[in-house]
Amino acid sequence: MHTDMNDKSIARRLRAAADEPSEAPYDWAEFQRRRHSSVLTRVIARGLERNRPMAIAAAVAAAVLVTVFPFFRSHHAHTASTTPPVKAVRSNEGDSMEQARTRALEGWLAALPRDHAIVRVGTRAAVSDLQDQIAALDDLMSAERVAGAQPTRLEALESQRAQLVNSLAQLQYAEMLASANP
Amino acid sequence: MSRLAEIAISDELITRACAGEEAAQAAIYRGLGPAVFALTRRLVGNRAVAEDLFQDTMIVLFQRLGEFRGEAPLGAWLRQIAVNRCLNYLRSPWHRARLHWESADEDHDGSLRPTMLPVTPPTSADLLDVERALASLTPVGRAVVWLFEVEGYSHEEIARFFGRSVSFSKSQLARALARLRQGLAPQEDQEACTPI
Repeated sequence: MHTDMNDKSIARRLRAAADEPSEAPYDWAEFQRRRHSSVLTRVIARGLERNRPMAIAAAVAAAVLVTVFPFFRSHHAHTASTTPPVKAVRSNEGDSMEQARTRALEGWLAALPRDHAIVRVGTRAAVSDLQDQIAALDDLMSAERVAGAQPTRLEALESQRAQLVNSLAQLQYAEMLASANP
Repeated sequence: MSRLAEIAISDELITRACAGEEAAQAAIYRGLGPAVFALTRRLVGNRAVAEDLFQDTMIVLFQRLGEFRGEAPLGAWLRQIAVNRCLNYLRSPWHRARLHWESADEDHDGSLRPTMLPVTPPTSADLLDVERALASLTPVGRAVVWLFEVEGYSHEEIARFFGRSVSFSKSQLARALARLRQGLAPQEDQEACTPI
């Protein structure tokens, strides 16, 4: 497979791509936080393999926690803000209305509790996908700026990003309401 | 950035991490984490999935660090864990279902979908072309070409990973390379004609 000159060239370019600087998706502290948050799940899974009564007890305890926790969390959610800002509260100079609105929505999203007590798999997947797309679009916009892209191209990307943030806000808002009223 | 298999971590740091010293574990995380994420991202494509696999791989690293015998660099040992997890994902019914959903609204034009974007913003036009060409491959094709051309696995090893024959690995590689040639050809033509 390495006999063709073109294939060698492709392999070289792939290896050059592999040698590009990269970063972990999050730092050590965040890794630890996620690691500990998954401990309960792992304990139950291990228990299911070895000791069914213990696993059932752990699962019941977890279910009770999940059921009771929203009553504490919903109070917090309501006191923080239950309404996404539809108008820009404060905009930086030079920002268009759309950008200002996006910033306001991002501020509201950032103020939300990180994880809802009750997570619906379908909604969570959609939220993760939107967050992923926004992050990827940010990467793309950074790359385009570095490459000296046309302002119209950047505006188009900015507009696409605004739509994604808007969709994310709507979804998070719906999820928050569902979580507060299980 | 070194490739994962080439990253060596000192024995002293590993011993301290095995003893539960958090600072040593954090240092290993910082040393290996970026390369692990880069590899998982290349193999599975989707960033969210890559993050999950990254987290899982790093958890396994610290759980099983005591089993590491030091016969190869720690990075090479960890690479095996990461590759196994990524390929398990690619073989899973969940992944096949996801592909089905994505293909329903995908136009197959070889463009770089947002979820397929590179680990970090590309630093050159050439790299952007490579990323775009990689994104046009099927997940299995991308994994095979990456494992063979970049990570240096043999066809026999790749076949074993996928539980398939050696000819499966060879045909996947040939198809992936043909597609990459196609995707990268305009760039090569353009380079030849660009005045300096």
